[in-house]
This record gives sequence, structure tokens and C-alpha cells, in this order.
Amino acid sequence: MKLAGNDMLIQSLIEEGVEYIFGYPGGAALHIYDSIFKQKEMEHILVRHEQGATHAADGYARATGKPGVVLVTSGPGATNAITGIATAFMDSIPMIVISGQVAKHLIGTDAFQETDMIGVSRPIVKHSFTVDSAENIPEIVKQAFYIATSGRPGPVVIDVPKDTTAPDKLFEFKYPNKVDIRSYKPPIEPDPKQIERAVDAIIESKKPVIYAGGGAINSNASEELRRLNEILDFPVTNTLMGLGVYPATHERFLGMLGMHGTYQANMSMHNADLIIAIGARFDDRITNTPKLFAPNAKIIHLDVDYSSVSKIIEANIAVFGQVKNSLKEMIKLLEAKKELIDSKKIIPWKKQISDWKSQHGLNHEMHLCETDEQPIMPQAVVQHIYNITKGKAFITSDVGQHQMFAAQYYHFDEPRKWINSGGLGTMGFGLPAAMGAKLAYPDDEVICITGEGSIQMCIQELSTCTQYNLPIKIININNEALGMVKQWQDMNYGGRHSASTYQSSLPNFVELAESYGHVGIKIEKNSELKSGLEKALSIKDRLVFVDVYVDPNEHVYPMLVAPNGSLKDMWLDKETKT
Amino acid sequence: MIQRKLSVILENKPGALVRVVGLFHQRGYNIESLHVDPVEDLNEYRFVEEKLNINLKEGEVSHLIIATTVNDNLLRQILRQINKLIDVLMAEEIK
Ligand SMILES: Cc1ncc(C[n+]2csc(CCOP(=O)(O)OP(=O)(O)O)c2C)c(N)n1
Ligand SMILES: [Mg+2]
Repeated sequence: MKLAGNDMLIQSLIEEGVEYIFGYPGGAALHIYDSIFKQKEMEHILVRHEQGATHAADGYARATGKPGVVLVTSGPGATNAITGIATAFMDSIPMIVISGQVAKHLIGTDAFQETDMIGVSRPIVKHSFTVDSAENIPEIVKQAFYIATSGRPGPVVIDVPKDTTAPDKLFEFKYPNKVDIRSYKPPIEPDPKQIERAVDAIIESKKPVIYAGGGAINSNASEELRRLNEILDFPVTNTLMGLGVYPATHERFLGMLGMHGTYQANMSMHNADLIIAIGARFDDRITNTPKLFAPNAKIIHLDVDYSSVSKIIEANIAVFGQVKNSLKEMIKLLEAKKELIDSKKIIPWKKQISDWKSQHGLNHEMHLCETDEQPIMPQAVVQHIYNITKGKAFITSDVGQHQMFAAQYYHFDEPRKWINSGGLGTMGFGLPAAMGAKLAYPDDEVICITGEGSIQMCIQELSTCTQYNLPIKIININNEALGMVKQWQDMNYGGRHSASTYQSSLPNFVELAESYGHVGIKIEKNSELKSGLEKALSIKDRLVFVDVYVDPNEHVYPMLVAPNGSLKDMWLDKETKT
Repeated sequence: MIQRKLSVILENKPGALVRVVGLFHQRGYNIESLHVDPVEDLNEYRFVEEKLNINLKEGEVSHLIIATTVNDNLLRQILRQINKLIDVLMAEEIK
């Protein structure tokens, strides 16, 4: 088959099984857009801003585990995509970003819409390619997908000079069926010696905690983790990125840990004698002051990325490999050594943990308040959504207090249902990410829990939802402020709210949503909360924007005391420190 | 902290070198000296071929020598970060 560069590029994406490509056209990408027009296998989703394209592709990738694909033009198209690429990079999300580029003979001349995309994106990609010649397109695409999805996943940029996609030069097209990159061999199977050491440490432990993160989700290791813990029955905590990898409604689940983790999760980590880290990277939001982190714990660290292990917290036992495979091997060995596991040994530890939980666990009954004398509590909004959807919805989120309330109070029993920007903390992520998830799972409920600050960072995508009829639900937890910023100002800056409020400049969100052709609902009273949310979620064929006015003075707790605190040092409410 | 020399074998491709150099800045490490040559005489590099089970051709890879002053932990971290780069075949300390 003979094809031109533009058709080879699109045909290569089709060979990779791409269903959706999120993008925005422009001069340098027009040959490619013409190829998109001519085919039917893939649907192009025209966003309203390139940041939206990257987050939508990212949301699709997080929901499905398949790479998200983005197409943008050179210059401003490419730079607009940067925030979304960085977001995917920080959370290890597989993504392919194809950026148009000026023709090769113009590179370096400051041509119209020329930006050094490879240079600009270098620190925030797993790898990048420049198409030097049209003939190499199939090989480059094959390698790009392999790199993006294998090992520790991440975004890969393919920069495509316009002349390499010219429609008038034809080349023999054959999509490679194998890929081998001699300088890139991510670990797959763990070292059996390390598995043995890990299992021995597990058998000896009296105060163990399993700490699982986003890497366990990326590796699709949820089932293995559950099986492992059927044998061990250890307490389990998840990072913000790991929520859902272990069922939140399981008796052994401690809740999220870290900055806004539960009291019992943080106390368990601090006092543990063994921490089994699974696809988690001891981020500073988890460890608090590294020197004070879990002083008595031995650390077993399972990860696919060598550079994540012993980076912040020294691992006593490092297990490199796909964590799914490492867990399988651990399960096998534990089953063989079953008679050595003494489950009685950890009974006092479990008792201690359940005491912590009953002392300062989260209040799960805030949704019961129906009196209109009191303002709506943001936590209650999430609790109602959880109850109405029976915990089965995809929830995307933005960044701020609402994100933490969603993480704390929506209990995820399955992986990939909680979609949020954990590493970069990108406001504006939630709405486009919900679009990606909804395209992937049109029959599932997809809800974006957002704040009035974050939603305005990509609100233009409401128009995309109209064009492609994406009936997602947006729950705007409206505290009329950049709440998380304001909380820090309350706690650390004497309540001086510098640039964290809007002075009555907020739009009428209901009318705004309606002007895009969506349904808008406003909720201001506790007595309307449950019925209003029920109504919104009963509308299946329309996008519904629910603007809920909540208590503007509420803070997120627990909150780690920083700097110089450990995981046991928490604010439990505005007055109380541990 | 003492000065150390790192030896990096990487694909001789456009953009490969700048990824290694860029990493130092991104991760907050300092480069004190830097030397890079394409590998012409493969005899000295048979150990790379053996370790990775590959065959090299003349001029196909480059040898980069970087001097930096770091402690042991950071050195291990830098080497792991460099090794993670897709175009890097091998990175180790020259003892
Ligand atoms: C793009 C971006 N800019 C700034 C920030 C810093 N920031 C973190 S939370 C926050 C406030 C978010 O406000 P809102 O979306 O209303 O959420 P709330 O905290 O009020 O629930 C800000 C400004 C960020 N995370 N992302
Ligand atoms: Mg707000």
C-alpha cells in the first residue's frame, strides 16, 4: 500500500486501535486534518482549547488504561498543550501528543508559529520524537505507543514538520508488528530473591501497613492486591492517586493517607513496623518531613521505576518489576509458606487502628443535616452524590478543597473510577477529563466534582460537550473563593485573604450552562440538597450543571502540620492539633 | 562530598545529549565538566555489547563523561535518572 505522510500518520494511529483523537487544527497540522476527514475508524473531538484536548485524552487514558491521543498545531497550539502534558507526566499517564511543526527548511528561522516543541516539552515528557522523514512515521508511531504505555507510562510527543505530511509524496506503508528499542528495557519480572526477602519481612511483621498508589492502578494490579490481602488481612491505605485500587468499603481500608489523609491512615503509617509500598513514590504530600517519616518501619517498595525507589525514603527491600507481576510472585510464595503466617500476631495492631478510627475518624453523617439555618457543608454534597450513585460513578475532580472532600467522602471500590490531577494539581482538569471518560464509557455516570475557581479554567469545554452530546454531570461546590488558598491563608497568614476571593464577580453558572444548551440547577439550602442532586442525576441525556452554594468558611481536615511535622502531627479541626 | 566522574553511553541521535544535560539542571544537580565524543574505536566498548547483548557500529553511539560533586545517595539517584532516559544505553560511575 502506498500512502502519503499524512495518511501514514493517521493509518498508524488506526493500527494502534485509537478510537478518539482530541485536537484543534491549525496551519502546520492541516495535511493531517485532511487525512482525518477521509477516514471513518477514528473520531476526532474538536475541543475549545488545546489544554482541554490533553486533559480529555488524559481522562480517557485514566478511565480505560489505553493511551490518550492528542493532535495540535505548531506554536500556540503546542504551547497550549503543555499544562496537560505536564499533568499526565506527573501522574504517569500514557499519552501521545502529535504536534504540527513548521516545514523542515523553516526550522530555526523564527517562522510563523514556530516553537521548539521538543525543547519546550523536554522536561515533562517520557520521550519525544521529531519526524525527520515521512518514511519513518510508522516506526516512530510504533515506538511512541510502546514507550508511552510500557514500564512507568507517560506522555510522548511526536513533532511533525509540515513537509513530512505532504499529500503529494507517496511511500510504501507497512506498520511494524514488533518493536524493540535496545536502549529501553523496563523491568518486568521481579527478582525472586527480593520476593523471598519481602515475604519473610511480611511474615515477621507485627504492625504492617500496605500503602498502594497510582502505580498499582497503572499496572492493573487491583485484583492481585485484593488477592494478596485475602491471605494477609493487613490494613491498607491508598494515596490520592491510588483510590479505588483497594475497595474503600473493605473493613481493612484505612482511607487515604497524607496531607489530608484520615487520622487512622496517617497514625498507622507513622507507627508501623512494616510498610509495603506498591506503586507509590513517597511524595512530599505523603511523607511530611522525610526524616521523621515512620521511624520504626521497614520498607518494602514494589515499583517499575528504579529512580522512584530510595529517592526520598530508603527502601530496605526493593522489588523492581511490573507491580502486577511482583504481587503475583508474592502471592505464590505466601501461599507456599501459609503455615508460617500467624494472623494472631497482628490482632493488637488492628485493635489499635480501630481505636484511632473511632477517636478521630471522618464524620460520615454530615448529609443528615436538613435544617436551613445552617449552610450546606461541602462534605454533605459528596456524601449525597455517593449515596445516589451507590458508589458506582466515574468521578473526575479539579484541585482544591472540593477535590479533597471528594477523595475523602466518595468511597471508591474499583480502580480507574477516581480521576484527578494528583501530581501536578492542575485546576481545569476536571471537565475535559470527564469528557474523555464519558466518551470511553457512554453508559456510565460520569460526574465532575469541581469548584467555582477550577471550573472557570476550562469552562469553554461546555461547548465541546454540546457538540458531541456528552451528558456529564458537573457539581460545582461553590464556596465563592479559592477555598484551599484561603484555608492556607487562614491557617498561616493571619486570615489575610490575598487574591483568593472574587468580590461578586462570579457568573450566573445556571444561565451560563443554559446558554451552551445544557441544564442548570442552583442549590442554596440544605432542604433542597438531596432532591436537587437526585433530580440532576436522574437526567440522563443532558449535561447538567449543578451550582451548590456551600459554607465558605469550611476547612479540610485532617491536615498535616508542616513544616517540620511528621505523619502523626495533624490538625483535626480549626482548634485541635494532635 | 567528592567530585565524581560519570560515564554515559548513549545513542548518537539528535537531542539525546541535551536530555542528559537537561536532566542535571531539572533535578538540581551541577555539571562541573563535560566531554562527549562519538565512539569510533569499538574495541574499548565490548563490555557494553556484552552487558546489553547488542552489536554496536562505529559512530552509532556517543560516550559522555560528566564530572559532578555529589554524595553517594544522590549519585545513585542521578545514575538511575540518566539510565531511565530512553536513548541512554548505560550510565555508571568511573572509579
Ligand atoms: C492552574 C492552577 N493554578 C493555581 C493553583 C493553586 N490552587 C490550588 S487550589 C486553588 C483554589 C481552587 O479553588 P476552587 O476551584 O474554587 O476550589 P476550592 O478550594 O474552593 O474547593 C488554587 C488557586 C492550581 N492548583 N492550579
Ligand atoms: Mg472555591
